[in-house]
Amino acid sequence: MRRLVAGELIKVRTTRTALGFGLAAVLLVLAGVLISILAGDPSTADDKRTALSFGSGVSTVLLLFGAVGATGEFRHRTLAPAVLIAPDRVRLFLARVAAYALTALLFAAFMLLVAFVVGIPLLSGRAGPGLTGGDYAEVAVGGVLATVLAAALGVAFGTLVRNQVGAVVGILVWITILESLIGLVSSDVVDELPGVLMGRVGQGGDDQMALAPATLLLLGWTVAFCVVAALLDRRRDVE
Amino acid sequence: MTGAAAIETVGLTKRYGAVTAVDDLSFRVREGSVTGFLGPNGAGKTTTLRMVLGLARPTAGDATIEGRHYVELAEPARTVGANLEIAGAHPGRSGREHLRALAAMAGLPRSRVEEVLRLVELEGAAGRRAGKYSLGMRQRLGLAATLLGDPRVLVLDEPANGLDPQGIRWLRDFLRGMAGEGRTVLVSSHVLAEVAQTVDDVVVIHRGRLVEQGPVARLTAGAGVLVRTPRPAELRAALEGEGLHATEAVAGELVVETPDTARVGEIAFAAGIPLHELSPRATSLEEAFLALTSDAPAGGRALAAPEAP
Repeated sequence: MRRLVAGELIKVRTTRTALGFGLAAVLLVLAGVLISILAGDPSTADDKRTALSFGSGVSTVLLLFGAVGATGEFRHRTLAPAVLIAPDRVRLFLARVAAYALTALLFAAFMLLVAFVVGIPLLSGRAGPGLTGGDYAEVAVGGVLATVLAAALGVAFGTLVRNQVGAVVGILVWITILESLIGLVSSDVVDELPGVLMGRVGQGGDDQMALAPATLLLLGWTVAFCVVAALLDRRRDVE
Repeated sequence: MTGAAAIETVGLTKRYGAVTAVDDLSFRVREGSVTGFLGPNGAGKTTTLRMVLGLARPTAGDATIEGRHYVELAEPARTVGANLEIAGAHPGRSGREHLRALAAMAGLPRSRVEEVLRLVELEGAAGRRAGKYSLGMRQRLGLAATLLGDPRVLVLDEPANGLDPQGIRWLRDFLRGMAGEGRTVLVSSHVLAEVAQTVDDVVVIHRGRLVEQGPVARLTAGAGVLVRTPRPAELRAALEGEGLHATEAVAGELVVETPDTARVGEIAFAAGIPLHELSPRATSLEEAFLALTSDAPAGGRALAAPEAP
């Protein structure tokens, strides 16, 4: 398994896709922190937490990163050479998930660094209550978890859909339209859907759901998508 | 075909809805042989190879490599090297990095990547992105990936597609080199000139069904006996008197429809007709292939002697 993850990691780092998504995510975090603090005038503890919450805004980017990477295997026909070396498709899929999750962990470390190094000095001296150590920890842990789980979920979704354009459009429709429509029908249901959960975990939990249950629900979605994708992928012919 | 089977298919069948791409296909590839897997475009060659390599599930039948299903091989890269048209490289990744990723997956050292790059003469372009490669360079990159694990069996799907004449000559030398090292090679092609000078055996399929399998020498033999004589009319009459059909293609030259050269000579001798030439008339592999695939009988026939138990 370690060999397969090592190979998948080489694949991830040797195209511009990871670099592009990583840069986009870090720049989005930087812009988000600057805009929230300089233009938003955060004065409550919640405002300040939100300003530093790097994981909520970029989770969709990481979802797309995983999906584009997974569908790229089908688009560029790079799946066949990998399957010829690792005929166990489930292990190969899990190695890919692990490689993208590890890459997302690296992105999360950079985003955390940018958010905290830029945001904390800007927040110091602002009016209102300051953030506690627990707040910082929840924002950091939640951001890292949302980033990593979003990338893994993206790989699973991309493996299910296979078509790159279809996967990207599907994710955008799902996050921006479908979940909003479901929210109009039932706010209870939408609270437990992946898009909302990624935002909630990314900011370290909120008033409606704490970090731990939100993470467990998002983890459940990720595992469910991974299981379905792995089982379906195993049955498919390599085209 | 005699000898232990490196690759064997039994009743291999693949259907896509109402379309049968491969139909009850059984053949063996001898260990240490170079076997041409021949058939026109759309005959089912790639689908067959995908099933042999575990990339597609057969609807029925079985395919094994060294007696095992591909997915059961403990170290597939060290056993089989395969280069299929459907196996690509990411256009944004360099050839070297493509191979390094595969080598890492197979647990092979990075030094092996440089070795195979040298073998396929691609070291100079290994740092360039695969998307910038010519078709010939992409074929060489695919062959390099095939050789990474130094496998005993090579499966090559249309390796000469898109190659220029120099590339085809290089490929022939490459295949000869692989065969010289005692590897088993199964090479598919629809262009006979590519493989005619290299293969020991052939498996010919048409419309997903086997039409011939056996040593290439058998396929190209048996096109009759060529006789040159100053008295063709008399010889023809003598032959027909013995139940042999002969045609005079060129003045003074008969083609007798029999593989039995000795019998033709004896008939001429008995009739007192002088002969200036008496030789088996070989046909080219291409002629034989076209004859087989233009009006292919169902089920096929084996050219070889009965298999060893």
